Amino acid sequence: MPRVLIIAYGNPLRSDDSVAWRAAKALRQKFSPNEVEIHCLHQLAPEVAETVSKFPRVIFVDAASAPAGHPGEIRVEKLRNIEGKDSTTQFFHAVSPLAVIRLAQSLYRVKPRAFSVTVTGQDFGHGEALSPVVESALPHLVSRIEALVRDADEAS
Amino acid sequence: MKQGSTIVIDPVTRIEGHSKITLHLNEDGRVEDAHFHVTQFRGFEKLAEGRPFYEMPSLMARICGICPVSHLIASAKACDSLLAVRIPPTADKLRRIFGLAQVTQSHALSLFHLSSPDLLLGMDADPAKSNIFGVAEKHPELALDGIRLRQFGQKIIERLGGKRIHPAWIVPGGVSEPLTEANRDAILWSLPDALAIAERTLEWFKSTMERFREEISTFGNFPTMFMGIVKDDNGLTFYDGKLRIVDASGHVVADELDPTQYSDYIGEKVESWSYLKSTYYKPKGFPDGVYRVGPLARMNVADRCGTPRADQELAEFHELQRTAVLSSFHYHHARLVEILYCIERMEQLLNDPEILSKHVRAVARPNALEGVGACEAPRGTLFHHYKIDEQGLIRWVNLVIATGHNNLAMNRSVLQVAKHYVHGNRLTPGMLNRVEAVIRCYDPCLSCSTHALGQMDLQIQLIAPGGEVLDEVRR
Repeated sequence: MPRVLIIAYGNPLRSDDSVAWRAAKALRQKFSPNEVEIHCLHQLAPEVAETVSKFPRVIFVDAASAPAGHPGEIRVEKLRNIEGKDSTTQFFHAVSPLAVIRLAQSLYRVKPRAFSVTVTGQDFGHGEALSPVVESALPHLVSRIEALVRDADEAS
Repeated sequence: MKQGSTIVIDPVTRIEGHSKITLHLNEDGRVEDAHFHVTQFRGFEKLAEGRPFYEMPSLMARICGICPVSHLIASAKACDSLLAVRIPPTADKLRRIFGLAQVTQSHALSLFHLSSPDLLLGMDADPAKSNIFGVAEKHPELALDGIRLRQFGQKIIERLGGKRIHPAWIVPGGVSEPLTEANRDAILWSLPDALAIAERTLEWFKSTMERFREEISTFGNFPTMFMGIVKDDNGLTFYDGKLRIVDASGHVVADELDPTQYSDYIGEKVESWSYLKSTYYKPKGFPDGVYRVGPLARMNVADRCGTPRADQELAEFHELQRTAVLSSFHYHHARLVEILYCIERMEQLLNDPEILSKHVRAVARPNALEGVGACEAPRGTLFHHYKIDEQGLIRWVNLVIATGHNNLAMNRSVLQVAKHYVHGNRLTPGMLNRVEAVIRCYDPCLSCSTHALGQMDLQIQLIAPGGEVLDEVRR
């Protein structure tokens, strides 16, 4: 049973929003299915909480839009405060990674170590290609995720 | 609250798509009129023009992320007509299984994620807590059941079609790949757990109905006709059959109607205040030809389900009222009966000895220039109507979507609820939530449903910061 779950989400037909799926494709070349399980989704939904509940470490990967950094900027955030008493969570068209983790904790009584890794996009128009700046950032994005996975290996 | 004013509920929450509700008050602060405005527009009928017809199922699936399978089925059936083929029996069964799985997960979404907060936490609950997270906090077992039932339906779609959203498996002439033995066995293995969830959810729901007597009597509780596709034995079906229309008394108004001739008896009207067309039964004209579709309608038009537990529940459902069951609150109940039917019916189909056959697609060139496909989507009857040229390119498309059939009834429902619950002098969130909740009964899919008929009325106003209309253009 793999110990790390990577959830790459975004719309593969909206240019930079496909970056997570592209990263997932590269990561499948680096890790075996026994080490890491990788899912590509269009968006997060409450059902993802069940999948997340089965792994001790979860990494969410997505494109971010301005003003979350300048295009190509990579951010890694540890999803903290998942035991916060304030459980108010709005249910929009899609849920956030933190909401998924909270739901997993609430329903399945698990506390996975969870991270959000994003790269700020520049172009979210219709298309299948990444913008040059995000294309350049892709190898670094993959490396940052790989480091999080290796860190899990060392911690075990 | 100022007299003779308008209350705007924007957006309508916990439904699929974008809309608002306006309530118009008289000088006494009582609701005099109400409208359900669908504020989004898609335009698939236009952007499909010029595309090869065989692209249509995949293209039309993009109309929706919740019920793409219904569009795949209706579109593929329209393409089957263009090819003039009869698809292999195994492909027919596989398409049915696909559709049943989708109905299950779509109905689960509607009940557990969108409406259960009202049913479990109450119509007057804090809006900030009225969502799946609030339900998970107070009733974790029900939230778990909802997640598992949705996962169940989505996994079947993924096993058959390769992915959960916008699978490309249903194609003109059949399906693209046969069912493997491993996938069949995996799906069969998952059925008992899903059936158990459906049974206990149905029992829970029936036990709560007593708390909602007032809502049952005021949520879309008025006479209309009901329409749905039924099998030859007038049994429940989602895939294929003839159209049946019954009136509020339960008497048959029209029977064995050919769905491909829908335009002979279904009219469409555009309203200036909404992107959603209204349909009506032509012999009775507009607006007297109002009818409803979807789970409640299917329970009213069908004589049986054809599976054991669902048949028992249908018989019990019919006991709710001597006439047709009229209150739209009962859409929730009907949805649960349909989930039961879907699971039982999938088991029957998966145990068919031919289900693993490799012969799953009929191949042909276009042999007709016009084709219509119809099926029952989770929300009601769905029509896809295409015309092509000699090169097989789409020249004209008309889509009549389930939610559009319910537009007239939804507007009447909003007015009925608003008149009963809303008093302009003292507004509460619970009052306004009930106005939204009646829309949730219909489980509208607004992203699916907004398409144009001919040229739309259009009004553009240039308004100064102070509110003065500087210029106006009308079409």
